[in-house]
Amino acid sequence: MSREKTKRNRLQSVSIPTEIIFHIIVGGFALACIIPFIFVIIISFSSEESIRLIGYSFKPLKWSTEAYGFVLQMGSQLWRSYFNSFLVSIVGTVTSVLMCILYAYALFRRDFKYRKFFMFFAFFTMLFGGGLAPTYMVCKQMLGLSDNYAALIVPALVNPFFIIIMRTFLQTSVPEELIEAAAIDGSGEYNTLFRIIIPISKPGIATVSLLTMINYWNDWFLTMLYVRDSSKFPLQYLLMKVQNQVDFLIKNSSVIGVEASKILQDLPGTSLRMSLVVFIVVPIACAYPFFQRYIISGLTIGSVKG
Amino acid sequence: MKKVLSMLLVLALAIGMLAGCKKTVDVADNAGTPQGGTSTNQGSTNTGSTDTGKTDTKPADTSRPDTHVVLKMYLEGSNVTDDKAVLEKVNAYLDEKLNCELQPIWGTWGDFDQGAVLSLQGAEDVDIYFTCSWTLNEYNQFARDGYYVRLDNPDNDLIHKYGQDILNLLPEVLIKGSTIEGADGYGIYAVNGYKDIACQNCWDVNVDLLKKYGYTIEDIEKADYYSFGDILAKVKAGEGENFYPLLIEGAVLERMVDNSIIVAGDSGSNNLLSYYINPTKTSEQGAYGNKILNKFATDEFKKFCEKTREYYLAGYIDPDMANPEKANDTRSNKQLTGQYLIGTQSYSLGYEIQASTERGFEVAMVPTTPAYVDTTSSQGAMMAISTASKNPERAMMFLNLLNTDAYLFTLLDFGVEGIHYNLNEIGEVEFTDERSNYMPWTNGLGNVTLLPPQKGQGADFQEKFKAYYGNADEIPILGFTFNPENVENEFGALANVAAEYFLPLCTGAVDPSEKIPEFLAKLEANGMQKVVDEANNQLSNFLAAQGK
Repeated sequence: MSREKTKRNRLQSVSIPTEIIFHIIVGGFALACIIPFIFVIIISFSSEESIRLIGYSFKPLKWSTEAYGFVLQMGSQLWRSYFNSFLVSIVGTVTSVLMCILYAYALFRRDFKYRKFFMFFAFFTMLFGGGLAPTYMVCKQMLGLSDNYAALIVPALVNPFFIIIMRTFLQTSVPEELIEAAAIDGSGEYNTLFRIIIPISKPGIATVSLLTMINYWNDWFLTMLYVRDSSKFPLQYLLMKVQNQVDFLIKNSSVIGVEASKILQDLPGTSLRMSLVVFIVVPIACAYPFFQRYIISGLTIGSVKG
Repeated sequence: MKKVLSMLLVLALAIGMLAGCKKTVDVADNAGTPQGGTSTNQGSTNTGSTDTGKTDTKPADTSRPDTHVVLKMYLEGSNVTDDKAVLEKVNAYLDEKLNCELQPIWGTWGDFDQGAVLSLQGAEDVDIYFTCSWTLNEYNQFARDGYYVRLDNPDNDLIHKYGQDILNLLPEVLIKGSTIEGADGYGIYAVNGYKDIACQNCWDVNVDLLKKYGYTIEDIEKADYYSFGDILAKVKAGEGENFYPLLIEGAVLERMVDNSIIVAGDSGSNNLLSYYINPTKTSEQGAYGNKILNKFATDEFKKFCEKTREYYLAGYIDPDMANPEKANDTRSNKQLTGQYLIGTQSYSLGYEIQASTERGFEVAMVPTTPAYVDTTSSQGAMMAISTASKNPERAMMFLNLLNTDAYLFTLLDFGVEGIHYNLNEIGEVEFTDERSNYMPWTNGLGNVTLLPPQKGQGADFQEKFKAYYGNADEIPILGFTFNPENVENEFGALANVAAEYFLPLCTGAVDPSEKIPEFLAKLEANGMQKVVDEANNQLSNFLAAQGK
């Protein structure tokens, strides 16, 4: 028994040197992913004085929690933005994924007469957009997406790329016979979709949900375009705003003159910005483990199935 | 079921399409006007105004119009989280004076560019926009494209009817600087703010350090860039290997030493085009006359680069200054900590006092030229009325009042007395903690000479301010803006070439004897001559139109 197991393992394994090389490559990649984040945390705990004197460093001259104190002092705006980020991410993800499933399912069904047209319809928008100004006019003036939560959710509701991922997933993992069988057993269209197809396509849905959620969580552009009321700012935009201001002032310091340097000094310092980054990254990083097992199975399911 | 669904879908689509049609026509109509038919636009504005304000037959700027309107104003650089108290008072005052209400949109440094441009292109009903020569809704460009109302258009002549007070009050150079070729002909498309309108580049000197080595400020005043060598060498020897006495911004240094200035309309291209001013009397022509040159081909530039290279090799210039990613941060850190002897600085009145307190040592400013006004600096902050505005007359009346009424301007900028600030015994403003919730950008609002002085400025600050800025000379080509439309392709390619060579050359990081010829050859290959010719052509047309 045990001998068989080792034999099997050896069969599947690669030679030891190759394995070492792979481990180094993968380990290096993992480090490359995690080090910047650790760096951000270190900077957020460095004192501004230290950043000024020696720049960013893994070993700052002096540690300080001043930045976090300052962030927490922002009080209501911070928590308000936290709430907004969660609200937009959750509502947005649920509605967006629902739309994605509905669209993808229709495209997946071979007996849907216009699937080619709708496929093209979705695909086309991936390649060609109307441009920023027309989009802005449609959203703001026709749809009234201005200074409300809808403005943060609606423009990103339909993502053709996710629809295509979802459709491909359905094609590879849902046998057509299943739908026929359900129909013979008397299941209606909605019943088939919600009671049969969706339960077996959880891995695909989880993948798309995670991607959608990250999209919503990280979005600041929509806020910049459509929202001017600070009570509706999501967290990401708070950070972006400070960063944009700093960039703009540096770029134009020669024309704005000495005033620019004065304004720059009043803006939050580097360690403060980094502590905001920590505030932003932690919640979404916490969401990963929940989706992870689905994503792994979602990735393997296509090839294992046979 | 299927049938019902498909019917519904068709219905929904049809409704969507119809609704879409209707709206798009509306929107296109709005958006089309600013770009295309400018004359029709002016016409419609006129009819619109007679509709809304029928009783407005005597348009004297003091009379209170009968209809109530809301004016929206898009501002730059604000830091405002609570404007309730201020707007309550502002609107009560405006209601009494002009029967209107103000709704400011507090744009910030980060979002103004994108927000204002989209809002303009989307023909939103915002009446007044901040505009200038350095934001994305750039004054000359957007005036040419018809987004701003020509204020002195002979048809309605808003500025003379409703804004006469502004004209009386602003220095003449400002009016000149804002008079440009726009969609409706040669005229004024925005009201200029009266702020620090003059340019003056200075050597920013660390006096404490200078004295430590036995020099005085006179030694700097007497010397020029080419004779700083001895002082720099002595300080460098005394302060050690990691001390870089020259703290420079490459592009600024080059302009200071060579007396070249940026030609308006050429920003963002590493200023390829240069005009040379007269360093002793800025209102007169410089050594090259009224010509625009490829400055990289001049002897001055070569001489400057060689000297800079010498200083760089001697260790007077921090290598970080040649790295655009690090230059700004490093420079402001070193300024604050005093790790420099001589720096470059574009000056504004009273800056040496501010810098001395900020940095904690004595800072002196040694000017290289008298203060002068050029197109870029005169267009530093302006207010334009959007062609999408439904009430351009009222917007003009408001701008007139804002720029001439000290009560209104102080209220809008500093906030409410007793809440955001208090006056001390000599009439200086002392801000309270509430001010952090209400900080518009003063220079972006308009006529800052209406403001009471702030603490430390002294009671006579505004007199000094007006004397300094009001008397600054204008350069001979004030008002000229280069329009790169005809040479856009060359311009883009040249900007990339300049981005590669300009900063390293100006900071001495590369060898000029090798790089300048290479640089010039590349510029030539990308059509530099064509751009310079085009610019000179435009300049001579401009000067001819002005009768010079």
